[in-house]
Amino acid sequence: MSMDRYELRRLDYSLSEDHQALQAAYKDFFATRCPIETVRAAEESGFDKNLWERLCAMGATTMAVPESAGGDGATLVDLTLVAEEIGRSLAPVPWIDHVCAERLLARLGAVEADVVDGTKLVALDPQQDAATGRRLIPAGSVAEQVLVRDGTEIVALSFASRPAHVDNIGKLPMAWVDPATADSRTVLAGGPEALAEYQRALDEWRLLTGAALVGLVEETMTIAAEFAKTRYTLGVPISSLQAISHPLANIAITVQGGRNLARRAAWFLDNEPEERRELAPSTFVFMAEEAAKAATMAVHVQGGLGVSAEAAATAYLVRARGWAVAGGDPATTAKYIATIVAEREGRS
Amino acid sequence: MDFSRVQLSDDDRKFQDDVRAFLSEIVTEDVIRRDRETGDNFDEGVHLALGAAGYLEREWKPDSDRAFTRVQRRIWELEKRRAHVPWVTSGTTAMIARSVKKFASPELRAEVLPRVYSGHVRMCLGYTEPEGGSDVATCKTRAVRDGDGWIINGSKMFTTGAHNCQYVFLITNTDPDAPKHKSLTMFLVPLDSPGVEIQGIRTVDGDRTNIVYYSDVRVDDRYRLGAVNDGWTVVREPLNAEHGDVDAADDGLADVSIMMHQAMFMAAAVDKAAQRCAVDDGAVAYRLGRSVARMEAALSAPSIFGRVALAQTMRDISPDLMDLLGAASALPDGADGAADDGAAEYVYRFAPLVGIYGGTLEVFRNMIAQYVLGLGKPAYAAPAAKKAS
Repeated sequence: MSMDRYELRRLDYSLSEDHQALQAAYKDFFATRCPIETVRAAEESGFDKNLWERLCAMGATTMAVPESAGGDGATLVDLTLVAEEIGRSLAPVPWIDHVCAERLLARLGAVEADVVDGTKLVALDPQQDAATGRRLIPAGSVAEQVLVRDGTEIVALSFASRPAHVDNIGKLPMAWVDPATADSRTVLAGGPEALAEYQRALDEWRLLTGAALVGLVEETMTIAAEFAKTRYTLGVPISSLQAISHPLANIAITVQGGRNLARRAAWFLDNEPEERRELAPSTFVFMAEEAAKAATMAVHVQGGLGVSAEAAATAYLVRARGWAVAGGDPATTAKYIATIVAEREGRS
Repeated sequence: MDFSRVQLSDDDRKFQDDVRAFLSEIVTEDVIRRDRETGDNFDEGVHLALGAAGYLEREWKPDSDRAFTRVQRRIWELEKRRAHVPWVTSGTTAMIARSVKKFASPELRAEVLPRVYSGHVRMCLGYTEPEGGSDVATCKTRAVRDGDGWIINGSKMFTTGAHNCQYVFLITNTDPDAPKHKSLTMFLVPLDSPGVEIQGIRTVDGDRTNIVYYSDVRVDDRYRLGAVNDGWTVVREPLNAEHGDVDAADDGLADVSIMMHQAMFMAAAVDKAAQRCAVDDGAVAYRLGRSVARMEAALSAPSIFGRVALAQTMRDISPDLMDLLGAASALPDGADGAADDGAAEYVYRFAPLVGIYGGTLEVFRNMIAQYVLGLGKPAYAAPAAKKAS
């Protein structure tokens, strides 16, 4: 049945006091533990083990699964708040990959305590369409276990020696992973229900990546805006020129829209997962496109200083692109959205 | 945070059923067809029926016995949209009625408000001038004292609905030498006054607006709202509402930004495209999915961010929605073989208007830049020197 756009639902995007406390705690954590120097220092491997351990000690992985699985039962709305702070700080930790894999394992009844507390890092292949053969896994060089689809099965792969890190524009701990060369291959589940659970993990990965890109975009916009207020041309701050201020205003609009969309999408996945399934992938498709444009504009506002490899703006620039493309062509996700909406609207 | 279906009491459920039934009865095919032909975005029969049934008073008079509760108000808004009740003149009337209540003399309130609630009085906005832009404070229409009244001369653009209204909420200049925010006086001018000439203008979306000329129009002083030269105080509040610079409702029972009503035409076009397009073609599916994503982001953006996002997104995605439906998307509603009953091509024609209502997108980008990002007042080039004649 086609969607009733006039249905009487609440439109309340506000954060509760608990939400705000969680958000403040993680904002503070990353501001303290992950300054830009920490981000830079981890670029060679794409991973800061020390930061990861501190983050896990905060409960950032434990929160992600229900109490029945040994966790703290956070909602996806909660997780979007953490993801946004990860993006804001460019934290070199594969938290999104880990919690999506961890939650998938929990739904399949296969999550272990060391995964929940983060001592055993897990990851998944985030491609929307199932791949075959060798493929890039965003957290492949640091995960002890990688979850992939193989036909109608979900399998966990592990390697005696971890797949080698490969440098990438997103500065992710990325590696080429070939399931055929895995030293251990465990079938976790199979059949349509298992594949639906994997799709749910993909939806969550896109939701949280979208939320991270919101934080990333907001921070690089803020840096650019501060720069523009203090940079003068012909006696006026460049921030007063509409060629500068209007693109920055557009980025502020992107942040507000993307942020609220992420929260609404998360709320539906938490509360009514069969309704509005297009919203989580929509968060990703929107932010994947906008992040690159916004990060480029933020560099541009800062001109010759912005393009310096040492400028914070360039750290945001490369990740805006690299994080968005790490799960494959975003167009595949757009096509997935189209099939959901066409089905809903009763296309025969 | 809450996006759940609102749990209705038995009374509210009955209210919803009654409203839905009533609106579907009075907004007939004929009303819709006539509205399309005239571009009026107003139907007197419908409006009077709403007044007679008491709905206008319940909506617009918060201290009336049967004033809508929050839930009823939200039901009312949504059901009017569902039924395609013409909304423009009704909206301007509601907005101006608030100013009349606040700033008019008791006599003028008594003259106007009861007939507003019955539907017999409608009011329109007289802000923009033919030579002016979004800055309503730049006003050349003059009001000059004449005994116990005023003589008004000038002209106003975009006085939408004037031909269906009884009064215009008019900004005039009463002190050309004063700074512009201290030069304005507001009047509620009866539109049947001698010297008022209403000239219709059709816009590309099919609606009708008006240019209104005022030639030696005599208005009694009792039609003045607020103090002389203090019109800015009167007009500021409805302007803020029209700008959409208002906080979100904490019960989630309101739109998160203005222009949501207009944006529903975009949502209808997206949903129709999803029904009718060749989604198995990857190029089609990609553009449809991307359009859905961009629209949902815009529908989520709050307050002043939302109004820009909605207008901009209507402009951005309507060409793609047409393209993915093919050549038959060029056909209007009712034409043989129209791909989507003209839904996307209408959004394409409507979007330019949505981006100038109550100020242009640039005005709102300025406001975001200055007040949200703290980027300062925009720097403008110095006025061009006047050529010596």
